[in-house]
Amino acid sequence: MKKVWNQILSRGIDLSGLVGFFFLWEFVPRLGLVNEQFIPPLSKVLLYLWKLASDGSLFIHTAASLQRMGLGLCLAILIGVPLGMFLGGAASPTFSKQLKPLLKILGQINAFSLFPLFILFFGIGEFAKIAIIFWSTVWPVLFTTILGVQQVDPLYIKSARSIGADRLTIFRKVILPGAAPVIFTGIRSGATQAFLMLMAAEEVGAKAGLGWVILNSAVNSIMPRLFAAAIVIAILGLAINYFILFLEHTIIDWNPEP
Amino acid sequence: MESIIRKITAGSLKYGEKNNVAVFLKNITDGLRNSISILIFVAIWEIVPRVGLVPETFVAPPSVVLQTLVKLATDGVLLPHIEISLFRAVSGFVLAAMIGIPLGFFLGGRFRLFERILNPVLHLLHAVNPFSLFPVFILLFGIGEFSKVAIIFWVCLWPVLLNTITGIKNVDALLIKSARSMGVKGLDLFLKVILPGASVNIFHGLKTSCGTAFFILIAAEMIGASNGLGWLVFNAQTNYQIPKLFATTVTIASLGLFLNYLFLRLEHKLIKWKDDIVQY
Repeated sequence: MKKVWNQILSRGIDLSGLVGFFFLWEFVPRLGLVNEQFIPPLSKVLLYLWKLASDGSLFIHTAASLQRMGLGLCLAILIGVPLGMFLGGAASPTFSKQLKPLLKILGQINAFSLFPLFILFFGIGEFAKIAIIFWSTVWPVLFTTILGVQQVDPLYIKSARSIGADRLTIFRKVILPGAAPVIFTGIRSGATQAFLMLMAAEEVGAKAGLGWVILNSAVNSIMPRLFAAAIVIAILGLAINYFILFLEHTIIDWNPEP
Repeated sequence: MESIIRKITAGSLKYGEKNNVAVFLKNITDGLRNSISILIFVAIWEIVPRVGLVPETFVAPPSVVLQTLVKLATDGVLLPHIEISLFRAVSGFVLAAMIGIPLGFFLGGRFRLFERILNPVLHLLHAVNPFSLFPVFILLFGIGEFSKVAIIFWVCLWPVLLNTITGIKNVDALLIKSARSMGVKGLDLFLKVILPGASVNIFHGLKTSCGTAFFILIAAEMIGASNGLGWLVFNAQTNYQIPKLFATTVTIASLGLFLNYLFLRLEHKLIKWKDDIVQY
């Protein structure tokens, strides 16, 4: 009995911060400590959220956002991971060392500064936004992939070679599994970046999507809608993170190094 | 080549003296060798627009960009914008560090229970997309300086705070107990055991938040400001002044690289003694 009570108490403590936060969110605006127009109470936000969900617009915007981000992320992975593997392992070390300063500089270039350039090249359509997401995602993915390939224990590679494994087998059976956890970490951090940039790209020039909802709400001063969209964005971000974790645990069904 | 020069100059050296000429030459050749790829990139960048593969109105070759950059700098246009951008970024960052680090110490150290309660809230606030909060900040704090500094403060606070808490919590308890058993307590314990133990995480938090701060700064200035480097990019784009756009982008990238380099040097000085840092 005491054990159950302790568990309940422990859970309660863990959750009490969140409960307190939501409590504050509900009552501080109502009490007038913060202007109710600027930060609406939680109940109003949730009401708006329900409204958005029930009339289908939530689904449309979420789908638009996810589509953009998904395309950008997939492109970044399709280019970043193979390139990273090539630079990390297959390419001669001098070539890779030569390229490193250039890549570091290019990776430092802010995607926002390139935004006007992308619009010039690709027009105001979808592709410019996907290009921004791609640019800001590909660098974390690339760098972590290179790191992942380079940190595979050379002992494993040498052992495989000593048994007579050829390069393809070493790649498939030693390097890929060894680098996979790090690569997935890179993909996850790339996804975080992609999501961040997605919102920015949509806020600047789009006609649908969660970022557009935020901009539109801000312009029309419909604050509950803005906060509702912000909540959806936060939850979506968490969901994407967990989804990639789920993929990671499905694909990596062995125990990676402790 | 350098070996020849090294042999020539080495003749006059006494025992133990460093061969400065050879070291100098080696540094130059090393630098050249390291920057070959950059030079090739710049060469391609120069040739492609001029040849016409890409219209020169879209991509300005480096020579034009450099000209524009020098003109902007000498006209006195560039410096105020750099100053104000740096001011915003540094203020937000320093404020976040001044509040985040001590708060992290308290939450990670003395008020563990409080930290446990607050942890989900902190992570929640950290995860909220700062771009979604832009309009809220602008509404709350107006279009002036304060809202920009506030956004940067918000974005910097969470990595610093969360990393400090993690750092303090992960200090090896064995070290603390050993120190205590020798009679070390209070401020000494803090300065000599806890702080160095947590310093890696704290530094990592500072580094992350610095990069993010700069990034968000440019975005914030693009969206809602009337001066600063981000605004300059936006302005150049609106007026279709491509060389100016490129010049500002180069400035922003160089600033970012410089900040990165600063942090690397700092890290080298402060954290060199820890030996499990992985870098690319």
